[in-house]
Amino acid sequence: MIKYILRNMWRRKARTFLTVFGIVVGIFALTVLGGLSARLTQQVQGARSWFTSSISVVPSGSGLFGGGENQFFDLKKVEEVKNVPGVEKASAGLGVTLAEQGGGFSFGAPDLLIGLDLSEGSGLLEQLAIGEGRPLQPGDRGKVTLGSVLAEKRDARVGDTVKLRGEPFEVVGIYRPTLSAPDTFAFAAYEDVLPVFLEANPFLQKKAISSVVYVIWEPGADPEAVAARIKDEVEDVNVISPRRAEQQISQFSLIFNAILLGIALIALLVGGLSVINTMIMSVSERTREIGLKRAIGAETRTILSEYLLESATIGLLGGLVGMLLGLVVIWLLNSATASQNVSVFAITVTVVVGPVIFATVLGTVAGIFPALRAARLRPVESLKED
Amino acid sequence: MSSITLEDLHKVYGEGGGEEVRAVDGIDLSVDRGEFVAIIGPSGSGKSTLLNLIGGLDVPTSGRVEVDGMDTGGLSDRELTRLRREKIGFVFQEFNLLPVLNALENVQLPLRYLKVNPKERRERAMEALEKVDLVNRAGNRPSQLSGGERQRVAIARALVTTPALVLADEPTGELDTANTCRIIEYMRVLNRELEQTFAIVTHDPMVARYAGRVITLRDGRVASDEPGEDAPLTCDDLKPV
Ligand SMILES: Nc1ncnc2c1ncn2[C@@H]1O[C@H](COP(=O)(O)OP(=O)(O)OP(=O)(O)O)[C@@H](O)[C@H]1O
Ligand SMILES: [Mg+2]
Repeated sequence: MIKYILRNMWRRKARTFLTVFGIVVGIFALTVLGGLSARLTQQVQGARSWFTSSISVVPSGSGLFGGGENQFFDLKKVEEVKNVPGVEKASAGLGVTLAEQGGGFSFGAPDLLIGLDLSEGSGLLEQLAIGEGRPLQPGDRGKVTLGSVLAEKRDARVGDTVKLRGEPFEVVGIYRPTLSAPDTFAFAAYEDVLPVFLEANPFLQKKAISSVVYVIWEPGADPEAVAARIKDEVEDVNVISPRRAEQQISQFSLIFNAILLGIALIALLVGGLSVINTMIMSVSERTREIGLKRAIGAETRTILSEYLLESATIGLLGGLVGMLLGLVVIWLLNSATASQNVSVFAITVTVVVGPVIFATVLGTVAGIFPALRAARLRPVESLKED
Repeated sequence: MSSITLEDLHKVYGEGGGEEVRAVDGIDLSVDRGEFVAIIGPSGSGKSTLLNLIGGLDVPTSGRVEVDGMDTGGLSDRELTRLRREKIGFVFQEFNLLPVLNALENVQLPLRYLKVNPKERRERAMEALEKVDLVNRAGNRPSQLSGGERQRVAIARALVTTPALVLADEPTGELDTANTCRIIEYMRVLNRELEQTFAIVTHDPMVARYAGRVITLRDGRVASDEPGEDAPLTCDDLKPV
């Protein structure tokens, strides 16, 4: 049966090729964008637990993903936040970028050294699972824990000493990959990071500062209510509650998935119409043959399934070729950025199987109308056709 | 028992329009099971139309068609398809072979629709090709066959299911005398041994001579209906050297 269908497709090589090619183009785009979206989803999922396990308090004008670079808190603000009812712990946080020379475009999250008040903030770090070594504990000085990507980049193992911004730190732990921002972070005690930070920003006036306050709420407290209270009681702060963080994160993927959907719809339209057109032509070319089959006893559904199978095969072929081309391009692009230890695309089961299934279903659905036309032909009229 | 019964059968093309053609114009006919009937008549006298009506490929304007005791007018499309598949073998005037299938596959096609298993399908199709002397062309597509060879493939395809009724439209039109004789001999053997009914449209006097009954059509009517010579077949002296 399949052999017969392939032979029928082969009768009009150029036309079949063009139809399949039309699907290939759409599915190729879908696969590449699917890879991009899959990577984004990984990042969003990885970031979610990190960003939603605490309330971030930043200077007004800053957002979840940075913003006002030169806006800092006086450490007194940390105390103020801590006094708000419902707040269990409030940790000063300070981030220093690890790129020695600034500038230069890079994909993904930047490499950051983050200083935390360990007596207050070690609870926050529990959100990240340790793969090797141990987490930071209150009282650790000169010690650092590394995200998986950063550890790999620096070729660092537990027990090694790494130089971050010129300062030596002992690596005590390496986190499991989250496929997200914390993978490129290094964590250390606030007291160790402050001098590094001040050296990097020599023109700062204040010497006791924090760029963010991480708040852990009391067990049983409603984080949204706590966040609102902080906003009310502490002046000049922007409070990012877990829900707001969630919203900001999912907004990214929402926009992207809308684009993906748009591409899919275009593929649907272009590919689908060309399959319909091709199949209608095939049916009218083979009217006589269909009549003959009906005359010697083929059921309408036999004819129907024959033509549906043919258009599904066109879809499947286009889907396979388009998906494979997409994978090749993803692989090439990923290996081009691999030197920077980032990958822009992810290849997941959905990225591979999704477009092929989509194309096959598309081919089948596009074949319904022509196939019905074929199946409904009356034998004698078809046999008289030229 | 009656194989074909026709009562006051009419088929009018372009009815109501200016150029009405009464292709079949009131035919009453009864053919018993196991008869070997030749249908002759001038071009345009309605022979092909009559076969199409009997085989349920075309719908009569009025009148009644019974095949094997079943009134085809009362059958649904599915039942009609089933009747054709199980009881009738067609040889078309224009052969109608499928171009993407080779000779063997073309002959297997009706068996496929009868859901015969592949092994048996192949064996029976090979046997049928042997009877029409085409075993050595089994792997060739229709485009690689001569007109006479194509015609013989079409005959093998009609006979491979051993249908109760064979409707053949000029099955020997493209064949030489030796091949015609061979085919007719094969059909008569089936006709006698398996009691298959044959209705053969022909212009060939030799075919008509070997038939048990000769029906002549003229202008869509039966002009004469006579017993044939039913001559015993002797193809041996006709065998090509
Ligand atoms: N679809 C049609 N529309 C109009 N007229 C038709 C149609 N089919 C057949 N006819 C006419 O019906 C008449 C009988 O046609 P038919 O094909 O049955 O003749 P025939 O006896 O088989 O002729 P031949 O020996 O040439 O094959 C002819 O006059 C033909 O022109
Ligand atoms: Mg005719």
